[in-house]
Amino acid sequence: MNFIYNIKVKILSKEEVAPNIFLIKLLAPPIAQEALAGQFIHIKCSKDNYPLLRRPLSIHRIDKEKGEIFILFQAVGEGTKLLAGRSIEDDLDIMGPIGNGFNIYPESKKMVIIGGGIGVAPLLALGEESIRQGKEVQVLIGALKKELVIGEESFKILGAKVDVATDDGSYQYKGLVTDLLERIIKEGWLADQIFACGPKPMLKKISEIALQANIHYQVSMEERMACGIGACLGCVCKIKTKDKREYKVKYEYKRVCVDGPVFTGSEVVWND
Amino acid sequence: MDPSSQEVRWSGMIDKPNLEVEVAGIKLKNPVMTASGTFGYGEEFSPFIDLDKLGAMVLKGITLKPKMGNPPPRVIETPSGMLNSIGLQNVGVEMLIKEKLPYLQKFNTPVIINISGDTIEEYIELARRLGEVSKEMGVAGLEINISCPNVKKGGMVWGTDAKATYKIINSIRKTTPLPLIAKLTPNVTDIKTIAQAAEEAGADALSLINTLVGMAIDIDSRRPKLANISGGLSGPAVKPVALWLVWQVFQTVNIPVIGIGGIIKVEDALEFIIAGARVIEIGTANFVNPHVTIDIIEGIEKYLTENNIKDVNELVGSMKI
Repeated sequence: MNFIYNIKVKILSKEEVAPNIFLIKLLAPPIAQEALAGQFIHIKCSKDNYPLLRRPLSIHRIDKEKGEIFILFQAVGEGTKLLAGRSIEDDLDIMGPIGNGFNIYPESKKMVIIGGGIGVAPLLALGEESIRQGKEVQVLIGALKKELVIGEESFKILGAKVDVATDDGSYQYKGLVTDLLERIIKEGWLADQIFACGPKPMLKKISEIALQANIHYQVSMEERMACGIGACLGCVCKIKTKDKREYKVKYEYKRVCVDGPVFTGSEVVWND
Repeated sequence: MDPSSQEVRWSGMIDKPNLEVEVAGIKLKNPVMTASGTFGYGEEFSPFIDLDKLGAMVLKGITLKPKMGNPPPRVIETPSGMLNSIGLQNVGVEMLIKEKLPYLQKFNTPVIINISGDTIEEYIELARRLGEVSKEMGVAGLEINISCPNVKKGGMVWGTDAKATYKIINSIRKTTPLPLIAKLTPNVTDIKTIAQAAEEAGADALSLINTLVGMAIDIDSRRPKLANISGGLSGPAVKPVALWLVWQVFQTVNIPVIGIGGIIKVEDALEFIIAGARVIEIGTANFVNPHVTIDIIEGIEKYLTENNIKDVNELVGSMKI
């Protein structure tokens, strides 16, 4: 496990990039130095103890040179609403970087990165790192409607190819983002790796597609979390593994915080 | 010895109040322990605090065999607190001995193992096994979990009946000379009778409270927010209840009481000590502030100094009525 810092950091900027979706930039040099794409920070949103628990948010972008990290989140609950209300220059108590992060294979040449809704949050840092390593990156973004499509420009600036699906057809393809994945596979664009984050039905569907196309698939999971450091065993997801001699399948609950949040898609038990 | 160095030591002792306490025959540097289930196996907190500074560590509840635990969601925040239904997921006693306890050997902090079982025989076997390795692996004592609300068998079944409490504590007492702490549940009609039964059965100390049973519902899906439906409530929300029960038990038994329940700042810890807790355990607050145990130890020392109290033991049960 990597070292987890618990530090107070400054909010450098805050922007509402889409309705109720916020991008916050933090000055956090030690965390930025060590952060990997796919890791998260655990944030104390309030100044007092209500709400009590921290909120885990993916690291959206890492700027190692400036020592800055970005978080992208939807203000939906008490914690994230409070966070959205915090002011520039405020100190924020955060822990991080936490989790395993995405695993980009050196031999991979082509990757598909799929984000559903706010699920794009951990994927920009991954796209940036993949392109830095010289991979060809196809991004697929799914959203309910046009205003909620996030990250399209950011990925394009990096040099990734981006396609979008909206549920209501208000922007680009009308339908599910998984349809786009099926389409590019059918067209013969075969990736070496697929990465995804978003709603569970989407992640599950991608798992089926990836299995059929025999493409390695990594998924960033989400679960209600308390400690964020592997101590409370609150944030588990059911994982299929094999016993030591690989004779039989066994199931165990693994911690999303420190065993994940990135898991191999074929190991996740989706129908639980 | 150089007399001048002795002088330095003496002046130090005059300035600093005594924080040392003894509970269940275990000597602690200070009255702050960690609550089982909120501190992992200790190592998880080593990036944030010096484990050597703690009074004692109570590790994640252990069972004879590894336990898978309950399906997620297992935790949900509630007003000033949280519900959990972990279901005692743990690595099992052999893995604890082999892989978790070795790391803790380098620290000079007593390690207390919280044990649970489905049957009386499992508790006995756990106590026997941990007694067997206690010297070699530094097991200072056992906290007997007769109060877990999230498992079908065992757990709270024992701690809600005075006879069952007596039977299980007494069976373990006959098995091991290790210090025994009975962890009590608040989910009872009269905690005093349970506390007395545990004392008569040979418990060396009592710790309370475990969590209060509760639930939460998602009104959109009309489904329970926890997959297990019910869970255990902890955090600041339970503190007044815990304080009242500690005070009642303190007046009832002659063995030390360990206060647990919603302690998040030094004032909370002091309230428990004044109500009769010789030692306190910090639980849910560890999830919010991984440094909270040390903050509270320092806060207690500061309070004693400011109030000219030389020994924390003087404060125990000192509530004026």
